[in-house]
Amino acid sequence: MEAYLVAIAIVTGIYVLLALGLNLQYGLTGIINFGHVGFFCVGAYTAAILSQHGVSLFITLPASAALAALAAWPLGLVSLRLRDDYFAIVSLGFSEVVRLIVTSERWLTNGVQGIPGIPRMFADLSGMSQASAVLGLLLVLNLVAIFAMRRMVSSPFGRMIEAIRDNEEAVKALGKDPARFKLRVLMLGSALAGVGGAVYAHYIGFIAPEQFIPLITFQIWMAIIMGGVGRVSGALVGTIILMVFMEGSRFLRDVLPFISEVEMASVRIGIVGLALILFTIHRPQGLMGDYTRK
Amino acid sequence: MTVTRRQTLAGLAGALSLPAFSGVSFAQAGGTFRIGALNPVTGAGSPYGSGMQKMILAAVEAVNAAGGAAGRKLEVFAEDTQTQPQAAVLAAKKLIEVNKVQAVLGTWASGVSLAVMPLTNEAGAILMNTSGAPALSVAPANAKGLGYRFQATNDRFGRAFAEIAVKEGFKRAATMAFNNASGIGNTEGFRKAWEAKGNKVVESVVYEPNQASYRGELQKVLAAKPDVIVTGSYLADTTIILREWFQTGENTKWIIPGWAANPELVKAVGNEVAEGLFSVDSVSNEQAPSFKVYDEAYRKAMNQGGLSNVYAAMTWDMVITLALAMEAAGPNADVAAINAKIREVANPEGTKVYSFAEGKEALKKGKINYEGASSVLDFDQFGDVTPDFGVSIVSKGTIERKYVVKI
Amino acid sequence: MRDIIELASIGLVSGLVIGLAALAVTLVFGIARFANAATGDTMTLGAYAALIGTAWTGSFLAGGALGIAAGAATGLLAYHFVFKKLEQRSSVASLLASIGVGFVIRAVLGLVFGHGQQVFQLPMVRPFRIYDIRVQPNDLKIAAAAIVTLVVVFLILHATPIGRRMRAVADDPMLAKVSGIAPKRVMIALWALAGGVSAVAGVLLGMKTVVSPEMGWEMLLPAFAAAVLGGIGHPVGAVVAGILLGVAQEVVSPLVGFTYKIALTYAVLLGVLLFRPRGLFGRNEGVR
Repeated sequence: MEAYLVAIAIVTGIYVLLALGLNLQYGLTGIINFGHVGFFCVGAYTAAILSQHGVSLFITLPASAALAALAAWPLGLVSLRLRDDYFAIVSLGFSEVVRLIVTSERWLTNGVQGIPGIPRMFADLSGMSQASAVLGLLLVLNLVAIFAMRRMVSSPFGRMIEAIRDNEEAVKALGKDPARFKLRVLMLGSALAGVGGAVYAHYIGFIAPEQFIPLITFQIWMAIIMGGVGRVSGALVGTIILMVFMEGSRFLRDVLPFISEVEMASVRIGIVGLALILFTIHRPQGLMGDYTRK
Repeated sequence: MTVTRRQTLAGLAGALSLPAFSGVSFAQAGGTFRIGALNPVTGAGSPYGSGMQKMILAAVEAVNAAGGAAGRKLEVFAEDTQTQPQAAVLAAKKLIEVNKVQAVLGTWASGVSLAVMPLTNEAGAILMNTSGAPALSVAPANAKGLGYRFQATNDRFGRAFAEIAVKEGFKRAATMAFNNASGIGNTEGFRKAWEAKGNKVVESVVYEPNQASYRGELQKVLAAKPDVIVTGSYLADTTIILREWFQTGENTKWIIPGWAANPELVKAVGNEVAEGLFSVDSVSNEQAPSFKVYDEAYRKAMNQGGLSNVYAAMTWDMVITLALAMEAAGPNADVAAINAKIREVANPEGTKVYSFAEGKEALKKGKINYEGASSVLDFDQFGDVTPDFGVSIVSKGTIERKYVVKI
Repeated sequence: MRDIIELASIGLVSGLVIGLAALAVTLVFGIARFANAATGDTMTLGAYAALIGTAWTGSFLAGGALGIAAGAATGLLAYHFVFKKLEQRSSVASLLASIGVGFVIRAVLGLVFGHGQQVFQLPMVRPFRIYDIRVQPNDLKIAAAAIVTLVVVFLILHATPIGRRMRAVADDPMLAKVSGIAPKRVMIALWALAGGVSAVAGVLLGMKTVVSPEMGWEMLLPAFAAAVLGGIGHPVGAVVAGILLGVAQEVVSPLVGFTYKIALTYAVLLGVLLFRPRGLFGRNEGVR
């Protein structure tokens, strides 16, 4: 039982990294990034390919972050000057292109066969202690990310990006170029997704292109919407609710045997949909949101 | 953004204290052997997943009705892989850690089996799959020899396709593959075997699914004037491709794997379009008494003939094989001991048996050889089987078996 | 050469279907001011309704009519229960809610119809040739249906009072309000129209391919891309961009590899946006 909970906690930890990245982009800066899974994918493949050549974990993690950020650079350069909603669609397309590239470029990624046997982290430990070590690493990564974000928010850079979110025109009027700041934020958030991808690859041990579909992006969006946009606690709580719901529905079926598995899949997606609708209408600030601010 | 440290910690504590759901009690331990049914009930494998799961349950019922294996009853915990590696990994974790299963049966997609196998290996559990990817045979995936594949590898499918193409006298073959491990595995396997026979593949195309049209792909293939097109495809894309092909007015022949060229396909494209298609599938062991028992169970559970789902026959065999190995290993044997007996009860020599009850009796006298419903089930050193392949031709809307190919 | 013309004609038909879906996206965007991600699932719903209608009456036309009615009704329901409540909020709120609406529609369709594929039983006929170019009768039917739909939509937009009001709101919501255009009636007309157009796109896509609960969702990305490419909120632009993308996909993908077919859409999109950030037909708006 413990090991199962730790497994869920690890996946949750990975998703929290993704949610923190998106929170930085959307919650703090107002970038509507619908291509988050693309950077997750870049991170995962970077870690997988490097570690297959015997590169150690201490290098694959930062390399994944760096490459994911680098992948965000051209996207941001070209499209952050577009309208917000154009960027949403272009970034969604970007993540699909990333998926198609890892699908098609067999020489690099082994194509649709995927990359099996990715070395695990802390391989000299085994069983629970290995899993706990992975969880511990995730905890540290998340805490570092949270700490850095809090520092950033109170810095001039943080005030600038919040200003961009709240009124981009005014920032422009002050003679600053919002796109430059947005580009940096996009890259930072993508780096977090990249780290998440690296941990994911090392943890699951097998990656293939079909794991990096836009649905992941929407799950992360749902997590930060439910938790509360623009708040670290929101990213955390939202992700936890998401995971409890996704995993909980397994156990729900043990209790409600008359719902078939096929129906359960539909019920699950229906509940996700309803939650999205109800939250945006009735509780736009999310569960952890500030009641006093709009 | 204001967040206190306490909120953060409370959140993480929440993540770690999930057991709200663990209140569901699981059946008493001891005296039972727990197996996990991990099937593709939703997602791309959904046409087969429910049937696979139900046949695991039905076979377990049969084993338990015969007094259990080596005195132990089997108990099943079912999960859905959603035909997706990540969902499957969590489901497998749940099965292994929460339900304490010692064998996981019936993973279908190659990606799922590849993702689940490290977990079963680590837990020392047996994994029986119906996937095609060659990587599953060898280390690192099957490093511990705990993996068994009840389906032919994609490679073997490709070899069967080549045999058929030669036998039918085709000269100019082209291939079309769905862009995934199984689709490409089929056509690449075909290419290897076909070229080894001194032939050439005149054109090959790999396509992405979910498109409004595959006509560009078709046109490229047809431009090479093939006399036969071999596919590694699924139902939906095959439906669209065949409809579009017919409307181009060409008269090519098609060799299509059985999971795509099934009665549903014929219904969807109509008799005229489907006329003359070759449908190739690993043959269930239809003449064997084991198949009759399975077929009956399948009809009862799914209201359809057992031939409509070859994978369900495989999951049926998984349970019977496992139970016979348990019986052979004796009371309270551990997984390693049971694993050691699997080839012994399934491969020749030995008395041929066709059901668990029969095998249980025969084991008292000596070595047995279970002949399955899905194939004769003889595992090679990699845990792979080599079934025969049935070649069916669609004629006036019905898929009729013409002959069987052995490779 | 013959090959290229044939490929282009294939792309034209696919492009008309994408264009219709993009038209539905762009109509909502122009007037309700958000990217409606439920468009794809409304298409799917229209296709299923048309299947039922065809099975009941035995006629494609009656089936199609039921599909359109169901699509329009879905649009109205979504507006009444969800989007009306979000009118005063940011466009992201509506966009996210529309993803939710799409999920709910898909869940209901999956529960009611299951996940297996269904097909429209079109008569399968061999092609005839014009100047050695293969022409498929079913393509002609699909193209004709798409063009009729487009003509009807543009007639509604340009030749009816409610259409003129809709365009007025799209051009300048403030001015329209000041001139006494009742926004609610415009919205009702908009959602019925967008739902109906989505349904037609879904039915035509279903005729070309197969009907399953995920089919519309898979078409959403190309539809979005076409809407952006055409200049969001610009109906003619959406249709032209849809056709352009359809033709580009078919003609170019044999050269770059078929697995990149879908990626081509985005390459074209990005390329155009680099030089025309508002899309092909987009106007420079003073305010957002």
